[in-house]
Amino acid sequence: MQHLDRRGLLGAALLLGAGAIRPARAQTDIGRASAFIQTTGQQLVAAINDQSRDIAARRQRVAGVLRQAVDVDGVGRFIIGRWWRTATPQEQQEYLKLFEETLIRNLSARFGEYQGVRFSLGRTQQRTEDDVLVNTVIERPNSAPFSLDWRVGEIGGQPKVVDVIAEGTSLRLTQRSEYSSVIQRNNGQMAALLQAMRGQIQQLAAREQGR
Amino acid sequence: MRQSTVSPPPRARLALAAPLLAALLLAGCATRPPASDPEAVAEFEQTNDPAEPTNRRLYAVHQGIDSYVLRPVAVGYRAVVPRPVRTGVRNVLGNLRTPVILANDMLQGEPRRAGDTLGRFLINSTLGLGGIFDVAASRFGVRGHAEDYGQTLARWGVGEGPYVFVPVLGPSNPRDLVGFGLGIVSDPLTWFGQGAIVDGLTYGRTGATVVDTREGLIEPLDDLERSSLDSYATLRSVYRQRRAAEIRNDTSRATPSSAGSTGFGVGTGEPR
Repeated sequence: MQHLDRRGLLGAALLLGAGAIRPARAQTDIGRASAFIQTTGQQLVAAINDQSRDIAARRQRVAGVLRQAVDVDGVGRFIIGRWWRTATPQEQQEYLKLFEETLIRNLSARFGEYQGVRFSLGRTQQRTEDDVLVNTVIERPNSAPFSLDWRVGEIGGQPKVVDVIAEGTSLRLTQRSEYSSVIQRNNGQMAALLQAMRGQIQQLAAREQGR
Repeated sequence: MRQSTVSPPPRARLALAAPLLAALLLAGCATRPPASDPEAVAEFEQTNDPAEPTNRRLYAVHQGIDSYVLRPVAVGYRAVVPRPVRTGVRNVLGNLRTPVILANDMLQGEPRRAGDTLGRFLINSTLGLGGIFDVAASRFGVRGHAEDYGQTLARWGVGEGPYVFVPVLGPSNPRDLVGFGLGIVSDPLTWFGQGAIVDGLTYGRTGATVVDTREGLIEPLDDLERSSLDSYATLRSVYRQRRAAEIRNDTSRATPSSAGSTGFGVGTGEPR
């Protein structure tokens, strides 16, 4: 009964607006956020274009920068959404672990291919109450430049990346509907998602070996 | 005697849509979650895919066609045809689309964008040798943009309606499907001339659009297929988010914008 009440309450809070149940978070300063993206971007570009290392070492360095810059746990919690509460503590723990591995491997594999990449800050704007969207322009040899938005939040007193938006497509929104769909199609079983994630990590690892 | 042997390409192309709409009317529906679970209901509404079981079946059909026909043809096209020629093909197709883009720029009350589109059409059709070279972008710095009736309807306040997946055309919704039909009907080239040669050209243009579009999407779709645990759900989410950004005119050129009103697409003839 108590359990039911709590769910109802949380549901109501959700309906009242995401802002209401979010833990209080300091407002992010625009200048600080864009300086943070500038630094992070330069670190990433340096890691990607470092010719003195082989691809595995470069990918390692990219992964290191991303771990520092991204609010991995926060993004993971956002993506799993309502399924978090129906999961057991063990499942929650394993999910966060698998999510970090998936995210870092996916992003560093992606960025690792951006040889010769250059990036610059574009227009910057404040989009929501708490977060700043920092716009960057990514240029690669032989392809048209494109814009990438970084959503930066203030997490524990530090600016962190909470979302990446390419051409209007938010990474965390897309992945949220992907994961939720996997769980729903398996009768609400978190275990099914965890198993699929394990399989995916194996595939990603095999691909990295293949390079 | 009346001439009755002339085949009507416009109607043939519109006829494509009929069985698809029929399939939709017969659609199986997803079960709506019970009202006692407000979060599940909220998600169900946000996903906007009440015909999901049918859509997934159509998606499986599309995946079959894609892996046996569309993708291999696109890969072959890229392997056989040199890049400058492919760029020329894309430019010509983009140039042929400009009348419809222009109409939609105007219907949306965007005189500046309409001016860009008109200027591009005049420059590229002449100096660009019938649209083969995108001189307007390379010499005059006027880049192309895509626009279609689905976006115009959206700007006029028409809702998207439930999500729909159409084999070959790709992700869509009733509003964008109507826009797709309007795009064909309002295209001057649809009604231009008759006879075997004109029909041949019309089919050729349609075929070239499909191959060119799929070629531009080899990497993005391979990537999606590889990295997603549920490519149907990912594609649905990506399409709806991108479409919203296109309607706001909030995209740059990284990903090809839709060629027509619906689904996948390479919009303006810009090379990737």
